[in-house]
Amino acid sequence: MSRLLEDILFAAPSPRAQAVTRVASVIAAIVLLLLAAGIVLRFHSAGQFDARFWKFFAWPTTWAFLGKGLLGTLASAAMAAVIALTLGLVLLLGRLARTRLVRWPSIAVIEFLRGTPTLLLIYVCFLVLPQAGIKLSTYWMLTLPVGLSTAAVVAEVYRAGVLAVPRGQTNAARSLGMTEAQVFFFIVFPQALRYIVPALVAQLVIVVKDTTFGYVVTYGELMQNAKVLIANYHSLVPVYLVVAALYCLVNYAISRASKRLGRPMH
Amino acid sequence: MGDVSRLLADHGPAFGQALFLTWKLTLLSFVPGFLLGMIVTVLRLLPLPPLRFVLTVYVEIFRNIPSVALLIFIVFALPDLEVVIDYEPSVVLTLALVCSAFTADYLRAGINTIAGGQVEAALSLGMRPMQIISAVVLPQALRAVVQPMTSLLIALMLSTSLASQVPLPGRELTALVSKIATDSAAGMAAFAVAAAMYVVTGLLIAWAGATLEKKARILR
Amino acid sequence: MSINSILKSTVAALAIVTGGSLFAQGTPIDAAAFDALVAQGPVASAATIASSTWASKIKQAGTLRLGGTQTSNLFSLLNEKDGKARGFDAGLAQLLTRYILGDGAKYQFTQVTSSTREQVLINDQVDMVFATYSITPARAEKIAFAGPYYTSQAGVLVKANNRAIQSYNDLAGKKVATQAGSTGPAILAQYAPKAVVQEFQTHQEALDALRQGRVDAYVTDYTLLLNALSLGTGDAKLAGAPFGAQDPYGVGLPKGSDGVAFINDFLKKVEADGTWAKLWMISIGQRTGSTAVPTPPAIP
Repeated sequence: MSRLLEDILFAAPSPRAQAVTRVASVIAAIVLLLLAAGIVLRFHSAGQFDARFWKFFAWPTTWAFLGKGLLGTLASAAMAAVIALTLGLVLLLGRLARTRLVRWPSIAVIEFLRGTPTLLLIYVCFLVLPQAGIKLSTYWMLTLPVGLSTAAVVAEVYRAGVLAVPRGQTNAARSLGMTEAQVFFFIVFPQALRYIVPALVAQLVIVVKDTTFGYVVTYGELMQNAKVLIANYHSLVPVYLVVAALYCLVNYAISRASKRLGRPMH
Repeated sequence: MGDVSRLLADHGPAFGQALFLTWKLTLLSFVPGFLLGMIVTVLRLLPLPPLRFVLTVYVEIFRNIPSVALLIFIVFALPDLEVVIDYEPSVVLTLALVCSAFTADYLRAGINTIAGGQVEAALSLGMRPMQIISAVVLPQALRAVVQPMTSLLIALMLSTSLASQVPLPGRELTALVSKIATDSAAGMAAFAVAAAMYVVTGLLIAWAGATLEKKARILR
Repeated sequence: MSINSILKSTVAALAIVTGGSLFAQGTPIDAAAFDALVAQGPVASAATIASSTWASKIKQAGTLRLGGTQTSNLFSLLNEKDGKARGFDAGLAQLLTRYILGDGAKYQFTQVTSSTREQVLINDQVDMVFATYSITPARAEKIAFAGPYYTSQAGVLVKANNRAIQSYNDLAGKKVATQAGSTGPAILAQYAPKAVVQEFQTHQEALDALRQGRVDAYVTDYTLLLNALSLGTGDAKLAGAPFGAQDPYGVGLPKGSDGVAFINDFLKKVEADGTWAKLWMISIGQRTGSTAVPTPPAIP
């Protein structure tokens, strides 16, 4: 594992450089602490440390309520991820197909789904499809557009992984007499997957983030429950802070889990 | 097709304004976001543990927070802390912060592609660390990240759709489609037009990015 | 006495009592009385239900899908500790649920905002919407309304120290909040065309905008504004008397549904036997300091 660039840059400092670094570190620490103190002071002067804005966080019912919201988020995100991973594979196969008849529509679908915002697709499911007579349930009005949108990106991620597998593997497999399907599913795709796991997990994080649009279709998830707490206790800043922290924690946990898997592409 | 031409007759100017607003929001958030991301990356290189720690937390927060949650916090909660930011600047601020976190990440990966030997050589020539960063590291890192930054710009352009969630004076594309779909039966046509505008804008950015990447690519 | 005159005298009384600024302490709802009232509501006979396809479908499904709010202090506020929503709208919805299904708790709740109310009915995501839903001809083209079960007019809410705005006539050039998809934008277009309008998705967000100084005034249904005053979370007052046309609140139903007749019969029943009045007292009267119960609006 090669050394990090900054370690090389700042390796073996002279005594003077060491002293400068120490002083700079202390100054940086002080400045950051002052910044933090400034924020805390602002909270205080705006009365945000008032007990009535925080006391309900001590009750288990509050956390149970937030937990229910989080479950709603995860239920939608999990299904959307499944849709994205499977549909993404279908789109990839279409994209890699030999015949133009299959390849061009696949490219068109991928570019269309990648090129439009997820929120727009959600509005389409909520407002436009019913005009055409298609009435999905609330859950699917959120999960389907998020899944479709992510599927297109996943297809491209799969493709990048497939392209990164050395050609020699494909050639060797073909020379052994394997069919194209066998080459793909047994040799190329498994290796491709190991390259792209971090990128796939990054998409999973994006899926969780997209579910925050659930309130647009009246799907009950974490943001919605946050608004109920705010209506009950008028505690805007603390509730939104806690909810934001919850989202960050969940996504951070998902990202961390990915670091244990997969190997880099170069 | 009749639907679309009728729609454009009724709402043509509105679509033009919406497209312009989308581009404007994209540009206004990308430039500060990109610059901020660069600054964060450089600061993270400095051997100051407190700074590195805080900036790492910064990047993790703004990479993982949903943009809508951040926007709602800035628009609805910050005023309770006596920081009242108007709606359009709030959207720009949200997108810029998220953009800066992803930029910092991609740039960091770009820096990792630079061989350590170059830095050692520069040091032996007597260059100071800051000089090395500005003359050797950054230029190469920037050239290495053109492709992910292009994807980021496209993602940013699509994220401007969250401006539809706050009462902006103007309407961007997604807000316009939602309004047309609620008020009339022309939802499908409106969606088709808006989708076409988004896709074409994205393809233009991708094409520009690919051209830039070919010119700037470092062949090793 | 009409609802309007009741509210006007309440407001006047409060103004006198608190000396200009209406800063009432938020009185929480009497949960025990509310629950007791819902528990003794009428239950429909099998024949009554069979006569309505809308009600029969609900009876068969075993739960009523309700669209409403959880964040409206007087009309429907969810207490996250016991998971129950209470208020005037919530009470009528739960009484109706009990009427059809025998148990006021057998409903499945969906949070709606003023811009999603019609769509959830069109999409068949809910069976009915109880959400301070004003009956307007424009909405009646897309969905059906039962009732009205309440009336209100528009009002202007400003901060207590605002001397510049005395009524809706002073709104020209001022930033005014209203709810998207409500009657607010139309009322402002008619009575204060020069106001700078900002539309919000929920009542709570508009109130916060006023409190935080993003807007100078908030125009919406008068009763919702009394709602705000009952919260006591900041100095606010009503600028001028209620204005505009009488705003009837109705129950949203899918277009052409025969639930309209069914619910109208139900409303007449609870108005006749005093349940409506008791509910008003518990959810609105006691909490805004008014003792005189208004007469319910006539149902066509």
